[in-house]
Amino acid sequence: MTTLTPRQRARYYQIAMYLAAAVITVVIVFAADWSKIQKNFFNPEIAADMFPEVITSAVKNTALYTLLSFVLGMVLALGLALMRLSSLKAFRAFAIGYIELFRGLPALITLLFVGFGLPIAFSGFRIPGGVLGRGSVGLALVAGAYMAETIRAGIEAVPKGQTEAARSLGMSQTRTMFTIILPQAFRIIIPPLTNELVLLIKDTSLFFILGSTPGTKELTKFARDFMNAERNATPLTVVAALYLLITLPLTFLVRRLERSAAKAR
Amino acid sequence: MTHAIDVRQLHKSFGDLEVLKGIDFTVNAGEVVCVLGPSGSGKSTLLRCLNRLEESNSGTILIDGEDITDIDADVDQLRSNIGMVFQQFNLFPHLTVLKNLTVAQTGVLKRPKDEAIGIAREMLDRVGLSDKIHEYPAHLSGGQAQRVAIARALSMKPKMMLFDEPTSALDPELVGEVLDVMRTLAGEGMTMMVVTHEIGFAQEVADRVVFMDDGVVVEEGSPEAVLRNPNEERTKQFLRMVLET
Repeated sequence: MTTLTPRQRARYYQIAMYLAAAVITVVIVFAADWSKIQKNFFNPEIAADMFPEVITSAVKNTALYTLLSFVLGMVLALGLALMRLSSLKAFRAFAIGYIELFRGLPALITLLFVGFGLPIAFSGFRIPGGVLGRGSVGLALVAGAYMAETIRAGIEAVPKGQTEAARSLGMSQTRTMFTIILPQAFRIIIPPLTNELVLLIKDTSLFFILGSTPGTKELTKFARDFMNAERNATPLTVVAALYLLITLPLTFLVRRLERSAAKAR
Repeated sequence: MTHAIDVRQLHKSFGDLEVLKGIDFTVNAGEVVCVLGPSGSGKSTLLRCLNRLEESNSGTILIDGEDITDIDADVDQLRSNIGMVFQQFNLFPHLTVLKNLTVAQTGVLKRPKDEAIGIAREMLDRVGLSDKIHEYPAHLSGGQAQRVAIARALSMKPKMMLFDEPTSALDPELVGEVLDVMRTLAGEGMTMMVVTHEIGFAQEVADRVVFMDDGVVVEEGSPEAVLRNPNEERTKQFLRMVLET
């Protein structure tokens, strides 16, 4: 028996892996009941029935809920991050307490509190804007807690010399923060913030517990109702594809942003 | 006549570590003072106390006769009159060279944009970097970055300039261009306090040299006196060490 050189061994190993993958694929292809799968998951008629409402209403609502949650959450997070870094102990304590509380709770519980707890606690008080308003405020409360920690990390990643240079030019603490530190901090945290955005897109599927009318359904609720009506899983497949259609360009865009930001540095 | 900088009995501690142990020290208007001393001697801390990047524990600091350690002193106003240049340049990486030079002019001094840009161009010209006006700091060499940092400080039209080891982070071949700019500035009558390890520069440009060690001023005087014929043993030791390497 001849001994193999490392290069040959690596090649045979590769060939073996490809063969194994091919065998597994073949087994799955023959074992699966394709006509059944096609009928239940890829039924073209049912898919066609979902349009155009799935776009004009469901995708639109998902996008709207996500954007509003993100914007509100960002404002909240910025405030929390600045409090977290404040020299006042009370501010720091509040920020820490808030962040730990809302990171520790399931988003569903927060949504229920905002949607149903608040009107009971403060009788008659309702956050305006219906499902959009209540859901977005609820999600923003949660997202704000996560993003606050991200923003804080970004601020702390900006070298101390930047603050010193700005202050030595006579800039006030606030001006330094907003014109010198935050622009650099946000550049650093674009990737984690996008992660947060993608998580938010998926979390809007929780809005169903706030109740819904035909006009306020987002993607997941829309698909579930359609699925129940048709007794077929095709709506899920369609909606899954649509989610990816939203999230994949987003991650792609961010990668480009990162690259151009890296160039500017 | 009031001194440009007048420091009396300045004390500063970081926790238990006393860094400045009663510094008395003056700089006259138009004077160039170089501060020498081993690392850890407190010279950078002294410099940073002068525009309150560090808060002193006791003693007074008079800038143009005004007590800046006063709790009611307008720190931002004070700082906009004192230019500072750092070892690590600390240019703002997200802004172009031009923006680096105008951001505080328009934001702090409320100069109109056109005027600020005009001043920025003038200062860049002075440090010989007019062609880099639209570059980002990342595209500058260390020497160019430090010259831009000097131009940025000058854009505020400060009454005096503080230099905190301005050439220590530079490759040896880039030190000269920065020292040239500083030499020109000194020749134009700018009040300058320079913490440095460049003995040659101190000898040539300084009106007065201050030698610090262990939180006190050990010796001060003309460059000839302090660098050629030091009285104190500690000064001699330091100079031997520096000149050998």
